[in-house]
Amino acid sequence: MSALLQAELLKLRTTRTFIALVAASLALSLLVVVLVSILGDNFTKQDVRDLFTADFTGLFIILLGVIGMAGEWRHRTITSTVLAAPDRIRLLAAKMVSYAAAGALLSLIVTLTIMLVGTIILSVRGEETAAMSDLVDVLWRNLLVAALVGALGVGIGAVVRNQIAAIVGVLFIAFVLEPTLLGLAEDYGKFGPTQGAPGGIIQATGFDGEDQDYLLSTGIAVLVMLGWIGLFFAAAAARLRGSDLV
Amino acid sequence: MAPVEIHGLSKRFRNVLAVNDLSFDVEAGRVTGFLGPNGAGKSTTLRALLGLVRPTAGTATFGGARYDELERPSATVGAVLEDASFHPGRTGRNHLRVLAVTGMHPPERVDVVLDAVGLTAAADRLVKGYSMGMRQRLAIAAALLGDPEVLILDEPTNGLDPPGIAWMRGMLREQAGRGRAVLISSHLLAEVAQSVDDVVVIANGQMRGHGTLEQVLGGDEGPSTEVRSQDDQLLMRALKAAGHSVTPLAAGGLIVPAVSPKDVGVIAHDAGVYLIGLGQQSRSLEQAFFALTGGESTS
Repeated sequence: MSALLQAELLKLRTTRTFIALVAASLALSLLVVVLVSILGDNFTKQDVRDLFTADFTGLFIILLGVIGMAGEWRHRTITSTVLAAPDRIRLLAAKMVSYAAAGALLSLIVTLTIMLVGTIILSVRGEETAAMSDLVDVLWRNLLVAALVGALGVGIGAVVRNQIAAIVGVLFIAFVLEPTLLGLAEDYGKFGPTQGAPGGIIQATGFDGEDQDYLLSTGIAVLVMLGWIGLFFAAAAARLRGSDLV
Repeated sequence: MAPVEIHGLSKRFRNVLAVNDLSFDVEAGRVTGFLGPNGAGKSTTLRALLGLVRPTAGTATFGGARYDELERPSATVGAVLEDASFHPGRTGRNHLRVLAVTGMHPPERVDVVLDAVGLTAAADRLVKGYSMGMRQRLAIAAALLGDPEVLILDEPTNGLDPPGIAWMRGMLREQAGRGRAVLISSHLLAEVAQSVDDVVVIANGQMRGHGTLEQVLGGDEGPSTEVRSQDDQLLMRALKAAGHSVTPLAAGGLIVPAVSPKDVGVIAHDAGVYLIGLGQQSRSLEQAFFALTGGESTS
């Protein structure tokens, strides 16, 4: 398993897609934090804590997971991948774990960077800064979400297999379906895999500064995310094990 | 136990019986050509052997173990499939590095196989810039990475230029010379004829011929011998007395079916007949192929 993990991580970091998505994630997260830090005022400690949840790694790592798995069919590399690792279930598990690890690592880099840059700007402007305990709290939550959605992306890619359809589907769910559900039926939307449950883990306040009481508690949100991952893993495993690679 | 054993292998895709009760072995130290027209079931057989498709019936094993049961598959079996594909955004070297890590092969093997296939200079270029022949060489490098005991090659000369094909021929013979079992499918019959020791011919998923190259070229009766002597009549009587049928040629000489040149020579010697010419007469592989698969020879 460790050889498979190493191989998947090597695959990840030797493609330009990964480098591009890392750069995009870092740039977007920094842009938001820098703009808010410069343009905002009268920050409270809660505002600063929420500011540092602006880690966009989750969005990019879920897409990277989708691309990494569905790309095996797009580029028809699934045959050589399975030849090298004929236990398809272990292969799927290794991909999920490696994208979870990549998500956590990416989030670590992005979160630490935005925390450093944001804190410097806020300090220079004489605004409130976050307590170390808040920074640590935001850090592990960001890392956990990135890891979970990274694994989920692999599962989605393995089930859908059509890379374009999977990407469009994930973007539709993340930016249309789940926000709509959260707006119209939050009791259902809070269980969503891209916004609802991750929101329960992050536990940020809303844009209006009010607590989002409808969110799942952190523990339940983690369990819901693990449920989504388990569901896609089971579906992907069944599909992968039963299919002929012709 | 042979390095590759296929017994009663069948594969059905819905209403299509792609492979039907196929059985043959591939021996160590020999190159076995796997021939058949398009759609004969060659690729399906190889993919079943490699665990990529699930057989409907029968077994396909390496030393008695299915591919997915091998502890380190790429250290036992190296495979080049017809549609070998690579991530276009990764370099040739990176592709091999990933496979080396997966198969737990020493990283030095990457440079060794790159050198073996002549790709060292292009190793750090993205695969999307490779020609078809270079991709084929990369696929072969990947197959050789684990220095495997068995090589499975599906149309490996596709995209190779004449020097590449000559290199491939030498590589196959070298691998067999080192005791490896090599199974190669190809539609280039002339090419196969120069490279293989044994031949398996299939059509419509069924076995049509199997044996050494000489046996298959000789047809059901085996190879014939064409002999010319100073006294064809005396030699003909001696051959018939030995129980062989003989066909005289109009231009002189005799055809002796199903008897080797060596045996004809011995009979001639015992009969006191001086020989002028002695040689094996066989069909071309193309003729044998069409005879076995029911097609028509173009030659």
